[in-house]
Amino acid sequence: MTTTTQRRCRAIALALTAGVSLAACGSSEATPEPGAGGDAAQGSTTATITFWDPYPQHTDGSEWDEHVKACAPEGSTIKRSSAPQTDLFNQLTTAVKEGTAPDIVVLDNPMMPEAVSAHLLATADQAGISTTGVDENLLGPGVVDAVAYGVPFGSNALGLYYNADLLESAGVDPASITDWASLNAAIEQVVADGGKGITFSGVTGEEGVFQFLPWFWGAGADLSDLSSAEAVSAGRLLSGWIGKGWAPKSAATDNQSAAWDLFLTGEYAFAENGSWFASAAAEADFATGVIPIPAEDGGVAPVPTGGEFAVAPVHADDASDHYANAAAVIACLTEGDAALATNETLGYLSAKPDVRGEQVAANPLWEPWVGPVEGAQGRTTELGSEYVDVSASLSKAEQGALNAAGDDAAVESAFKEAGSVF
Amino acid sequence: MTRSRRGAWAAVGFVAPLIVFLVLFYAYPLTQNVLMSLHRYDRNTFVYGGAPFVGLDIYREIVTDPRFWKVVEQTAVFTVVSLFFQYAIGLALAVFFHRGGFRLSSVLRAMFLIPWLLPVIVSGTTWQWMMNPDSGVLNALLDTVGLGPVWWLSSGHALMSVVIANIWLGVPFNLVILYSGLQNIPADLHEAAALDGAGPWQQFWRITFPLLRPVSLVTLLLGLVYTLKVVDIIWIMTFGTGTSQTLATTSYGMAFGKGSSAVIRYSEASVVSTILLLVALTFGLLFVAVQRRQES
Repeated sequence: MTTTTQRRCRAIALALTAGVSLAACGSSEATPEPGAGGDAAQGSTTATITFWDPYPQHTDGSEWDEHVKACAPEGSTIKRSSAPQTDLFNQLTTAVKEGTAPDIVVLDNPMMPEAVSAHLLATADQAGISTTGVDENLLGPGVVDAVAYGVPFGSNALGLYYNADLLESAGVDPASITDWASLNAAIEQVVADGGKGITFSGVTGEEGVFQFLPWFWGAGADLSDLSSAEAVSAGRLLSGWIGKGWAPKSAATDNQSAAWDLFLTGEYAFAENGSWFASAAAEADFATGVIPIPAEDGGVAPVPTGGEFAVAPVHADDASDHYANAAAVIACLTEGDAALATNETLGYLSAKPDVRGEQVAANPLWEPWVGPVEGAQGRTTELGSEYVDVSASLSKAEQGALNAAGDDAAVESAFKEAGSVF
Repeated sequence: MTRSRRGAWAAVGFVAPLIVFLVLFYAYPLTQNVLMSLHRYDRNTFVYGGAPFVGLDIYREIVTDPRFWKVVEQTAVFTVVSLFFQYAIGLALAVFFHRGGFRLSSVLRAMFLIPWLLPVIVSGTTWQWMMNPDSGVLNALLDTVGLGPVWWLSSGHALMSVVIANIWLGVPFNLVILYSGLQNIPADLHEAAALDGAGPWQQFWRITFPLLRPVSLVTLLLGLVYTLKVVDIIWIMTFGTGTSQTLATTSYGMAFGKGSSAVIRYSEASVVSTILLLVALTFGLLFVAVQRRQES
């Protein structure tokens, strides 16, 4: 009896050891050291180049897909894959850990400081990425401690689209909207005329914060103090719209596309939305126009810079070759004639003034967007990698404000209480 | 090679696949999860290692956060209310269909399975659309019966709304299991009771319900574990905002930088999921204990 039991135990022990050692193989060995060597100039491009971007809407064979793949250097093919922003960043994190990072990643600009502080990115110098001729405000999010980590190829900005037919019937002149009071007066007039007010995206997370910042900054608030009177004032503006029924309650859960769809119904007078909808606005069933988002006391509110950076992730093995791949493809996408095509394909305005000039000359739709893009403020410029935390708190405060639906005291407490990790 | 030695190797061969599977897919991730909750990870240390060991510090931070207890309370309400109605409605429907005896009863029963068959992304989006505060059909319905509109997915009402959707989602599961339980109750018991003068109500409470107890226990326990970890339907409808935030949605949001915060909180997410696991384990053990007592 004992021998059988012993034998059985030994067998299980053996099997267990096998299992554990197998599991141990899972832990990575080839993790690259932060800031390790590698220089694009000393590498040579490889047969397969991997390219990740956050544009799953541009499927295989789409214009963007073909534009990217056409940038493969002689003797190489580009393997492109896409995932939504957050997922892409998470996949990049894991890929760097496992040593399987792609050659090029297109990363949303507010993620740049965190990616840099986690040592996920090679410097622009290492990866042979040129940043000359790019506007400083757009380059800002990718510069950490005076070192650049990639290049933004284009930018988008937020503006206030309006339904010209509705405004005309209500007798509102869009040019008269220069501050919050005149905006509110205009909305009130349209609503009295039987229309609806304004759509925007207040969805939880970065997307809603992106849309909230023009009001936040336009009130004179600062990201370093979310409980200031100015911050609360911005919250009250949006909260009041919901309370009065001027904005849809679904703004609290609408993303930018959903908010845009509501505007396209033709029922709403205004829509806060991005330059990427400029051509869609021109094709709407009603006449549209766009004005800059006004600041509380007049003037133009600063909008956050939108758009992505082309970056090269850190590699431990064959780093120079990977960086050479990145250098070749990014140069192709951002320099020369292709730079214009890159931006037109994505519906962006170029990050370079001269290319932007060409875009505007060719397409007058872009004209109202040049000002907002040039005056745009980097979300992370002031706070660096701490921005993501502040953005999370701001998102909670905004949700609280929208749900308060015009209750001023509740809006104030939402901004005072933002900050818990839950 | 002696005979017994060869036997030992054969035993290893038979046991090994199971052990390897268990270690790779259960023991290893579980230990990693617990280890992660004891070290303070950020994106950098997640990639390059070197996260400092902090013992139970993060557990302490989480359980002393007043918001945590609010979330625990919401999770409890979500789970208990969902389970109660899923079970009650499922049982009522099961009894109804078991009595059967009318045409189309099986067609109707099949139709009740639809919530189970639809992908949650479809049903979740549909619920969100129906609950649209401005133009949803639910508010239109309320309007026709003279009731004011409800802002279903507002932070205050979010819990109620996701519970409604989750009940709808869980009824078919309860219906199917309880229905098959009913079929195992011998019909002569009911006949005998009827002869003794028991009405339908008495038959249900004195025969059907007690005899269904083992099946009910399994249904409720599976339902409990399933409901505790629900993320999908909540996430699709509200992103776990407001009162619809549960432990599971919190852990998901923290682990992948989703929802309001794009920061990945590796350690905090592990803490919350470990707590969730312990709760589910406790109820699992409780179930085993109750079952054992029933058997003896």
